[in-house]
Amino acid sequence: MSQIAANKPAPDITGMQEADWQARLDKIASDPRMNEDNTTISAASVRKAAMLMLIIGAVGILVTLIGAVSINFRHALGAFEVGVFTALAISLGSLFWILVFHSLNASWPITLRRQFENIASTIWVPVIMIVIVALIEVTQGGVLLTWLDRSGGYNHLLDVKAPYLNAPFFMVRILIYAMIWIGISHILLKWSRKSDETGDRTLGRKARFLSGAGIPLFALSTAFASFDFLMSLDYRFFSTMWGVYYFASCGLASLSAVAIVATLLRKAGKLDGLVTEEHFHDLGKLIFAFVVFWAYISFSQYFLIWYSNIPEETMWYISRQQHGWQWLFVTMTIGHFALPFLLLIWRKTKRTTMLLCGMGIYLLVMVVLDMVWIIRPMVYLNTTATDPGLAGIWLDIAGVVGVLGIFGGVVALKIPKSPLLPLKDPMLHECLHHKNYV
Amino acid sequence: MDMKSIMNDAKSQGSIYFPMFFPKPAPKFVSESGNAVYGIVAEFSETPKVFRAAKKVRDAGYSKWDVHTPFPIHDMEEAMGIKTTKLPLMAGGAAIVGVGIAILLQWGTTDWLYPTLVQGKPFDAWQPFVPIMFELGILLTAFMCIFGMLALNGLPRFHHPLFSHERFYRVGNDRFFIAIEAIDPNFDPIKTKKLLEEAGGTDITLIEDVD
Repeated sequence: MSQIAANKPAPDITGMQEADWQARLDKIASDPRMNEDNTTISAASVRKAAMLMLIIGAVGILVTLIGAVSINFRHALGAFEVGVFTALAISLGSLFWILVFHSLNASWPITLRRQFENIASTIWVPVIMIVIVALIEVTQGGVLLTWLDRSGGYNHLLDVKAPYLNAPFFMVRILIYAMIWIGISHILLKWSRKSDETGDRTLGRKARFLSGAGIPLFALSTAFASFDFLMSLDYRFFSTMWGVYYFASCGLASLSAVAIVATLLRKAGKLDGLVTEEHFHDLGKLIFAFVVFWAYISFSQYFLIWYSNIPEETMWYISRQQHGWQWLFVTMTIGHFALPFLLLIWRKTKRTTMLLCGMGIYLLVMVVLDMVWIIRPMVYLNTTATDPGLAGIWLDIAGVVGVLGIFGGVVALKIPKSPLLPLKDPMLHECLHHKNYV
Repeated sequence: MDMKSIMNDAKSQGSIYFPMFFPKPAPKFVSESGNAVYGIVAEFSETPKVFRAAKKVRDAGYSKWDVHTPFPIHDMEEAMGIKTTKLPLMAGGAAIVGVGIAILLQWGTTDWLYPTLVQGKPFDAWQPFVPIMFELGILLTAFMCIFGMLALNGLPRFHHPLFSHERFYRVGNDRFFIAIEAIDPNFDPIKTKKLLEEAGGTDITLIEDVD
């Protein structure tokens, strides 16, 4: 016994000997699919697309600013927020998936994980935007967040809710969320990039430890951020399912975005044999699951409120079903659940790269419409201004395209900065032979 | 997949559960002792051997045959040329039937046949119907998954002719077997035996189907 211990050094925290680990790394490095041309993309090849997206984004933001001055300030801010919370959902969902992949030691998504990391660590773009939104709200004394406006005299409900709904605490909370989201996503990206260079196998274990702590932090910060910005658009309304409702959009939007990014990389001739139809199949399964999860959560929220019929809850739905927004209710039921459910249930949809990419684009549009459903009906509620009609629709489109264009451009600039997959991940050898059995 | 082959499948599955209703057809091959022949079984000692042999049997065009192993072997379904199961379509049909029953049951009773006022809600409100539609859809789908699976693979059954082969019991321990059935249109006692011999099988035995 003591002889064996003397011959072999004790394994480190990963339970592996240095020699075994080197043998595994050599085997991965000798794989013909792991050549440098396949695993990296040059900055020059994405610059054109990134610049195009950034220019479209800048034009969109400019049009939104013009709309804020010439049409309606509330409306422009609402359109901007629809885009911001879609972009935030994409990067928050990516952060969630990285945390889940690390903590479950998942091997199949490793070749896709770098794209999740790129999108998650771009979270500073929507975070800066929500800080801008919060500063506008606080300095203007409540534009869409009417609870910031206390000039209306005595309001018992607001007095009771004041310990939570007040401007200083609101700003402090946003700073806490920003620190959690930016901190975790950047540390995980940093470790992932570091393991590419050093091949340090303990980094995976450290990432798993951080993910375990990160999941509750993520859950609380996401839920409370959605309370602060989306649920408190009507300070009288409350729903205990609200955090999960926004999280369902996060999970769906990020998977859709990664399906699009992975398809574009495959079309550029990268990741050949590394991201195969087997990985798309699993991605499609998760997208399908989150389509159903979103429907389950949003129906459960609607169903309980409809059944109990309590005025302070039902008015949230009444203001959306009686003011010209009925079409959106039907569109969401069919377009966000029934149609993608029937399309994604087929094995072929999930395994065909282009079909899944198409579903990703379609579902991102549906997530945008979900945010429109949450935010836009509140803009003209209880105001004397009237909806400008067609000009308002153009303003909505400009706000969403502006934010998503800038977000997409920053993500595109980030992708070539590191290899397209974690080159020396401890579980990569399993991912290279991933297969779905019938 | 034409109507005739579906009927044939249903007949062969039905004869497992209800042998009294399905008179046995005259056997194609009869052994020296006068019993009907079930098929030929060959024994293999290693996983790669049985894997390569399965590919050979597949390429020879057999359809009524099976590989028996002590543990699951990855990619075996490809090596055997097994096609995708019909079960998902059957389960999908069951889901539609379940949702349809739920709609008829609720809308028919509380709105059409005997309008019932519950909590002052409209008669034809669709919202309270959704959980039942969901549950009945799930229930019938789960039933179809379990019972459809059993019907397709012919389980449970009281007896299988392979159990008359003493060496076959090692399939639970350390041996791999390929069994080709006599009802296969390509089955030929001499050619099939030769194929299994060439594929590396040992202890190739003719199995009788004794009632």
